[in-house]
Amino acid sequence: MDIQVVYVTVNRRGQSQRDQQRVAGPSISVGRGTQCQIHLPDPRIALQHAHITVSESGATLEAGSGRVQVNSHEVGGAKLAVGDRIEVGPYLLEVESPPAGVPLALSVTLAAPLAAHGGDGRRFTLRLPRASKRRLSYIAFIGTLLLCLLVPLAPELLGYPQTPSATAGPGRIDAAEPGRIEHVVRTVSTRLLQTWNPGPVSRAHQPVGADCLTCHAFPFVQVRDVSCIACHKTIKEHVPAAELKGAQGQAFRDMRCAECHRDHKGMQMAPYAQEQCADCHRDVKSVAPDAKSGKATDFRTEHPEFRLSLLDANKPDAIRRVRQGKPASPDMVERSNLKFNHALHLDPGGVRDPEGKRDASGVRDAQGRRTVLRCDDCHQPNEGGRLMAPVFMELHCQRCHSLAFEPKVTKRQVVHGDEAAIATMLREFYARLVLGDVPPDVNPPPDLPRMRPGAVVTYQERQQALKIADEKAKLVLRELFETRKVCSTCHEVTPKAGGAGWEVAPVRVAEIWMPQALFSHAKHTTEKCTKCHDVSQSKDSGHIAMPGIALCRECHVGARTVAGKVTSDCATCHKFHAGSDFWHGVLQAQMLPRGKK
Amino acid sequence: MSQHQSILEFRHGRYFKVALLLCAAAIGVYAWHDPPAIYLKPYGGTWLGYTLGTIGAVLILWLMLLGIRKRRYRSNMGSVQGWTSAHIYLGFSLIVVATLHCAFEFGWNIHTLAYALMMLVIASGFFGVYAYLRYPEYMTANLAGETLETMLLKVADLEVKCKRIALDLPDEVNALIMNASKRAAEKTALGGSFRRQLAGVDPGHPMRLARDELLKMGTRLSGDQAKVQEQLVMEMTRIVALTDRVRRDLQLRAQMQVWLYFHVPLSFALLAALTAHIISVFYFW
Repeated sequence: MDIQVVYVTVNRRGQSQRDQQRVAGPSISVGRGTQCQIHLPDPRIALQHAHITVSESGATLEAGSGRVQVNSHEVGGAKLAVGDRIEVGPYLLEVESPPAGVPLALSVTLAAPLAAHGGDGRRFTLRLPRASKRRLSYIAFIGTLLLCLLVPLAPELLGYPQTPSATAGPGRIDAAEPGRIEHVVRTVSTRLLQTWNPGPVSRAHQPVGADCLTCHAFPFVQVRDVSCIACHKTIKEHVPAAELKGAQGQAFRDMRCAECHRDHKGMQMAPYAQEQCADCHRDVKSVAPDAKSGKATDFRTEHPEFRLSLLDANKPDAIRRVRQGKPASPDMVERSNLKFNHALHLDPGGVRDPEGKRDASGVRDAQGRRTVLRCDDCHQPNEGGRLMAPVFMELHCQRCHSLAFEPKVTKRQVVHGDEAAIATMLREFYARLVLGDVPPDVNPPPDLPRMRPGAVVTYQERQQALKIADEKAKLVLRELFETRKVCSTCHEVTPKAGGAGWEVAPVRVAEIWMPQALFSHAKHTTEKCTKCHDVSQSKDSGHIAMPGIALCRECHVGARTVAGKVTSDCATCHKFHAGSDFWHGVLQAQMLPRGKK
Repeated sequence: MSQHQSILEFRHGRYFKVALLLCAAAIGVYAWHDPPAIYLKPYGGTWLGYTLGTIGAVLILWLMLLGIRKRRYRSNMGSVQGWTSAHIYLGFSLIVVATLHCAFEFGWNIHTLAYALMMLVIASGFFGVYAYLRYPEYMTANLAGETLETMLLKVADLEVKCKRIALDLPDEVNALIMNASKRAAEKTALGGSFRRQLAGVDPGHPMRLARDELLKMGTRLSGDQAKVQEQLVMEMTRIVALTDRVRRDLQLRAQMQVWLYFHVPLSFALLAALTAHIISVFYFW
């Protein structure tokens, strides 16, 4: 079933021409596509713009992907009748009366040719930013490089001399004042150089932190010890360098400060790494053959028993270092020449107290004459709180341990610790009594002859009286040292040969048991004294009540954190720079100028 | 195998696997490695820090070489498609490598500046990948088989038609249409400025304004004239819809290009910051 299509075109002379064609039905497509039977080559037409179907009963139009208007009305589909005007984009399709045998005849006219409204001046191209990517890239690259690198380094790049502060110590100071430009460059570059700082410097370095060159004195070289020692002039070696052997010992001798001390890690300068201590102390003898210290890699897992520094009262220059352990070394005894019984003094029932009760909880018997002593009655922390202050007879003992020489006669006491002074004092005291001058606080002893007050005495009588007094004083002195055992309560007292007085053994009590340890009592005040120092069974002064490592380990662990425990690395208790030599033998005078080494 | 293969699926995601392996290795070694205690925590100066930093710097340099490689049409050093695929995946893996390199330590310094610039470059690149993968689809859907040109031709046709219809309507309406058409032709650059193209809006569209004006006038007409006016409004709405689609097309095109205006200059800023970072670190070792 064919239909007739007439393409109407206008030739150059304006005459319309009709080109008649037959198109095979019954289904005919209209569109831009070349497969369409009615081919309308115009960009404004859809590929498959519409369909026309012819049948016995007539022709129907159906819109495809394009818009179709039939008699000026937009339709989705329509039955076609003769005279209908179909607008398909710029084309006009008119239904003409078909010749016989043909169900449909169409004329196709391009009503609105493309050229008619081509250049209407519209601009629709994509507009891009005026600046090119290339130019922007140059600006970004050069700008960033200037701000981040070139300006901060400008003084160096321009060859300006070092500022005095940069070469710490014997730095060069230029006499010439910097020029105006140089001043500006320096100011700006110093500001920008701060942006290089990867992290805040430690508190102690804050005063010099603004000038990078104080420590980073050599470009592209790691921080040298000379920069450190410029300020830390007195820093000491760990151990004398001569004691260290082998490659490891050499490596230790060559170590830079910065290998342990890292700055720019926050307010505290990272001090050290335990692994570094363990490098040698795992087998310290291989590095230092004479070392006495034991194997130590971590406080919790591998650390020897503590060594105590013990004194010997009879050998004032000797210090015995005795290691704790079980069984205890026979040498682990204090030789202080003092007699003291902790257990007795700390009797829970209290001790006799000449001044009566001290407080409600201390009262024991009806007379209120017993006092329960506490540790801090005798042991008080020293000024820094780190150690205990020494115990003094006058302050801590004498209130109970009276040095009264004849209690029935007077409450006066002799001085502590000086036999000659005591003897003199006694002679003078009794001489005064014998001579008849009795002070109001003295109840003169009945057996002591006395002169009548106001009597005129002869020289011989006076000499006689003084002799009596001397005899009495000697007797009383002997009572103090020997008979009444006033001195020997605490001291080792032996009579000198030939009755020339008494020998009181010198007393030396340990004030610090671990002199190199960083232990502080002040940091342990939350614990009871007896937790570490159990003296409840200590009956003589030779007994040492120092805690062992096991007790410390109840709270302290090693460098690896354990829940509920105090993380403790080597530096928690040990000093590193504890030797006597200067660090690496470097003295201020030997420091190299900038640019050398 | 389909004709088109996304750069993301190049060689079955070869570079995705490479990047994933790189990230996994970096994370694994970072978790395993125990930095010396003097550093307190991991940082860029440990052996791992230096290693990750070197990998990162080399990656950045290589990623920037894409700009050269894609212009070397005669080069046969791998296909540009492969390079781009690797560029995308390895670029993303930099997030992991650089973050582990700095060990999550940030501050107001050039080191973090380099990091921030890198992240901005990566973020703009991410948008680029998204745009390149999604927008062609949106554009096809928006154009619906047409081209920018055919749509504009249709707009022109419709304008002619509107003018014709308006002839039957009162003078004020006719003038309105003539004016709008004239102004549209003279003043409107479809899409407008670059920023407007990006945003995809054009509040001053003359035909839209004219239509809205016409709708306000609408009730004053009656009978046949009202019907004609209704038709006019319909045609004008078509113009507006068409120009909206044109604008949307331009917007999508603009967005597909604009990210490069960030991506490229920022990567050069990054190159400078990276140089400063490396030099500064070793200058003050």
